[in-house]
Amino acid sequence: MTKAVGPEAGGEYIEIYGVRWSRWAAKLSAQVDIIISLIIVLAVTAAFHLHFMLLAGDWDFWVDWKDREYWVTLTPIVAITFPAALQYVLWEKFRLPIGATLAITGLMVGAWIARFFGFHLWSYFPFSLVWPALMIPGALVLDCVLLLTGNFFITAVIGGMGFAVLFYPSNWPMLAAYRLPVEVMGSLVSVGDYIGYAFTRTATPEYLRFIERGTLRTFGGHSAWVSSAFAGFVCVLTYLLWWHIGMLLSRVTTLPNRWRHLFGYPRERPPQTASPAVPRDAS
Amino acid sequence: MTKPEPAALFTTQDWSPRAFISWRGLLLGLAGVFSLMLAYRSYQQVFGWSAGLDATDPAFDTYWMNLLKGELVVLTASWAGLWSYLWFTRDRALSQLAPREEIRRYLNLIFFIFVYAFAVYWTGSFFAEQDAAWHQTVVRDTPFTPSHIVLFYGTMPLFVLFGVGSLLYAMTRLPKFAERLSLPLIIAVAGPFLILPNLGFNEWGHAFWLMEEYFSAPLHWGFVVLGWSVLALGGLLVQILQHLLDAIRRAELQAGGLDDSLADPQPAAGP
Repeated sequence: MTKAVGPEAGGEYIEIYGVRWSRWAAKLSAQVDIIISLIIVLAVTAAFHLHFMLLAGDWDFWVDWKDREYWVTLTPIVAITFPAALQYVLWEKFRLPIGATLAITGLMVGAWIARFFGFHLWSYFPFSLVWPALMIPGALVLDCVLLLTGNFFITAVIGGMGFAVLFYPSNWPMLAAYRLPVEVMGSLVSVGDYIGYAFTRTATPEYLRFIERGTLRTFGGHSAWVSSAFAGFVCVLTYLLWWHIGMLLSRVTTLPNRWRHLFGYPRERPPQTASPAVPRDAS
Repeated sequence: MTKPEPAALFTTQDWSPRAFISWRGLLLGLAGVFSLMLAYRSYQQVFGWSAGLDATDPAFDTYWMNLLKGELVVLTASWAGLWSYLWFTRDRALSQLAPREEIRRYLNLIFFIFVYAFAVYWTGSFFAEQDAAWHQTVVRDTPFTPSHIVLFYGTMPLFVLFGVGSLLYAMTRLPKFAERLSLPLIIAVAGPFLILPNLGFNEWGHAFWLMEEYFSAPLHWGFVVLGWSVLALGGLLVQILQHLLDAIRRAELQAGGLDDSLADPQPAAGP
């Protein structure tokens, strides 16, 4: 990949993927790469976390909100957005098949840090109540499909479905204990619900009032799989949309600066949009 | 094709990365932001529960409203100070900028954006989610809560300081950003900046509709859409890399250490 070509004027040249660079420029470029990678990690973590917490955050914050229908449907649909956009940028511009995993890992790290310092250390909730959901398996599948096919449409259909369908089983080992039934003051509730009752959130609606309705209890576990399949369908469409949002926002577009004379450039001449009706030099 | 003679500039000038990169400036910026965030978080830990539960309590006024007033003074002064410094010390002869200096300034711009992204992280991720931890637990009786005083009037103005600062730095010191306005840069700065005025709507809505505290309420979706604009940093970074590569080639041409194959970056011939 990289080899020294030999000393010439100004220092050695090296080849990186077939392109010749002088050694000093290659060194500088390598350091810039590291800095830019860190910027991308920070920016994606911040923007994606903000997006996620304000669209699906409540279901991620609390264990008693992690239900069989809304949580399973909403979370993958909201979470596939930034992975799709970042896959566009990293795959199309840099041929790196890590966009989804990078975005989801950034989200997870940001969520765990905030859960620890905010929910646990400041508001004194136990981790059994506030652990964030896991989405990394679905992100790995999304990246693998893009790597193997190199095609965004197939990634949307197969990867998008995989991302949504894998969400529930990925979280099941952590969630199962909180779904066990327990009797509290004569009522049958889940362990997750009971933890929610014990740690009061004075300003938040009770989830049972908010969500548990219809035939959700009757259908039990089956509704989770139906919700996963529905989320998969919407994820395919969301992926396609966000791939193009990534394309739009990573496009380098510039406009003329009308104040460039303030920086030492000559004033731009106004464009000639009209020609005289009668040529002046006509005699 | 005649090869250029070994150039004197390459032997007399420093071409190592340290000639272009000012690590000290970056580390100072990151350490400054981190120290401030640490101080804010510690303050919340100490005075959040002890003096931040009741807005009519005199202790609230002492510990929280005074902090807010101090922040408003400091943020106005820091905005005015940094932005006017960047404007009044602008380069008025950008068309004659030497390529080596241009490279150095591109790296300064990248560092500016780094500190901006670091400040955005603390706002958009750390303190934003912590806002849920506080407000879903404690009944709010004022828009100026211990969480908001730090998040909205402390960390948000800070990222605006660096965001607008990086826009001004680029436009006043780099020829390509002065000649033409970069749409990705404007979006990446203006979108997060607009989160600040959107706070007005947020607070108005919370007061008017007496909302239950759940984060996914439609009232909050303006923050979401404006947060998407951070993705334009992708376009901006691609643009900076293109310009940086161009400046590197011009610097080598000027120093005389570049042959034709480097002037036009094509893949080298041969296996």
